[in-house]
Amino acid sequence: MTLLDVKGLSVRFSGLTALDDVSFTLEEGNVRAVIGPNGAGKSTLFNAISGYVTPTSGTVFLKGQELTQLTPHEIAEQGVRRTFQNGGLFPALTVLENVMTGLHAQTEGSFLDILLGRSAALKSEAENIHRARELLKLMSMDHMADTRAGDLSGGQQRIVEIVRTVASDPPVLLLDEPAVGLSPVARAQMMEIIHRLAGEKGVGILLIEHAVELVMAAADRILVMAAGARIAEGTPEEIREDRAVLEAYLGHA
Amino acid sequence: MSQTKMPSARQRRLRSWLFWAVPAVLLLLPLATNPYTQFIANGILISVLVTLGFTLVIGNLGQLAFANTAFFGIGAYASAILAAKLGVPWLLTIPLAGAFGALGGFLASSAALRGIRSYYLAIITLAFGELMRWAYLHAKPVTGGTDGMPMPRETLLGTSLSDDTLKFYIFLAVTVLLVKATLNLMRSRFGRAVMAVRENEVATASLAIPTARVILVTFMWSGFVVGCAGALFARHVGHVFPESFGMLHLIASFAMVLVGGLGSVLGAVLGAVLLTALPEYLRAFPGMEELFFGLIVAGVLVAMPMGLASLLRRVSPIFVERFYREAP
Ligand SMILES: Nc1ncnc2c1ncn2[C@@H]1O[C@H](COP(=O)(O)OP(=O)(O)O)[C@@H](O)[C@H]1O
Ligand SMILES: [Mg+2]
Repeated sequence: MTLLDVKGLSVRFSGLTALDDVSFTLEEGNVRAVIGPNGAGKSTLFNAISGYVTPTSGTVFLKGQELTQLTPHEIAEQGVRRTFQNGGLFPALTVLENVMTGLHAQTEGSFLDILLGRSAALKSEAENIHRARELLKLMSMDHMADTRAGDLSGGQQRIVEIVRTVASDPPVLLLDEPAVGLSPVARAQMMEIIHRLAGEKGVGILLIEHAVELVMAAADRILVMAAGARIAEGTPEEIREDRAVLEAYLGHA
Repeated sequence: MSQTKMPSARQRRLRSWLFWAVPAVLLLLPLATNPYTQFIANGILISVLVTLGFTLVIGNLGQLAFANTAFFGIGAYASAILAAKLGVPWLLTIPLAGAFGALGGFLASSAALRGIRSYYLAIITLAFGELMRWAYLHAKPVTGGTDGMPMPRETLLGTSLSDDTLKFYIFLAVTVLLVKATLNLMRSRFGRAVMAVRENEVATASLAIPTARVILVTFMWSGFVVGCAGALFARHVGHVFPESFGMLHLIASFAMVLVGGLGSVLGAVLGAVLLTALPEYLRAFPGMEELFFGLIVAGVLVAMPMGLASLLRRVSPIFVERFYREAP
């Protein structure tokens, strides 16, 4: 089943075309890698899909429903969730609190319920604490639950950010260089997590990643970008053979 | 690794028991006071609410907004005008003053929501406070101008509302309720969202959290709490004057926030109690009061940059304030 359908997406920043008429689809349970040199427009593509920049033209659909005019928090609520290239954790909050912020829209109880400490709000709060702890346990991070997120190692922060992003069971996940700066062991662990999310939970994942070997192993399909435009699209095998890719990107790598 | 020690289930029960035990003991306070110390105690309760509202915005939400004294003045004048001009019973003016304070919060948040942040927000909100003071001075038919607004005489259950013991019980009830409600807020998804906005507003939106609404509601709740405090203040002093709502009040409240610990409910209480009571002790050193006051504030901040609340956190996990609420 097609989750994301991106059609002719373009973004122009005062003269600079950061994204140039890019189209592709993302299927349930698939990992689609987005590769390309620095400045190719990969993060801009994510920003346009998730509502952080307004596309100059083009549309984005999630399961047939248009997202293009929505704000970032509305798009997240529809089920497209993302991480950030520079990390998006809240350093002063604990790991548990960080994961619980990912469950915000899943928590019940109105403002008045919360203010008055009514049971509707308290019950939902207790359930979400439980849920967040279970998720941390799955990633073997439960012993870190009470640690300030800012005190974690880089690799741990990346993992907690992913736990937080998937806590609400979103159908689509956009991961912007989740393995950057990690040790080889942590990178492998990260790829394993991504593989499991797609394989076991059927999440559709859009993955920006620089390490070509990792991408070739982890992705079902690859989108190659350069100077804002799509220069190739296909399975890892097809991309390996593609001359345009060899010249524009792999040649540099 | 700085794994915070969280309170155990037993400590959490002790804590919720303590929360009600403190005001219960305070019910006996009027037995131990004279008219003068009772007046000071009443003023302390008002300071607690003023500091609480302030710390929410600058500590938890992380916005450099200094409209807190404006909220306070709006609440005080709303209460005085409603009581004196429209004959509304004072008790009823408390939530109404809170509503006007919330309106002030709405106005202050609209600056933040237009993208005015940091030093620019600081200046705009300071100007808002001065503008309000100008209005109190110049809207003479409504506010009494330099003559201020006297509170009308009123009785409650046969006791005059100028009785400081009666005022103490009403102030205590209002303060406890508003502190409890604020704690409920901070220990929920709302409190987490407020902190998230402070830490990383862009990432907050990616978690389906409507950041603009979080900012708006935080300012409005802060305005509500401080506006209610304004209504208490009107009755406390019996006559509302423009001078009460100037820079001096703002700076004193800011010091209370910092001395207690930014973004801490417990800290707001501790900072307000310490710095409201302190000047009374310093009266023993005429001419040196301001100097000693400044030295003590600076001393606390140098020794404890995170405020008094951080000291208690180190003493026992009972005092650790987090932004979720474990089932009892
Ligand atoms: N908000 C912005 N305003 C102006 N230019 C931008 C903005 N965001 C990105 N760009 C530019 O768009 C181009 C693509 O950037 P980006 O999408 O971050 O590339 P990548 O993630 O592939 O490295 C770069 O030239 C960058 O400088
Ligand atoms: Mg990028």
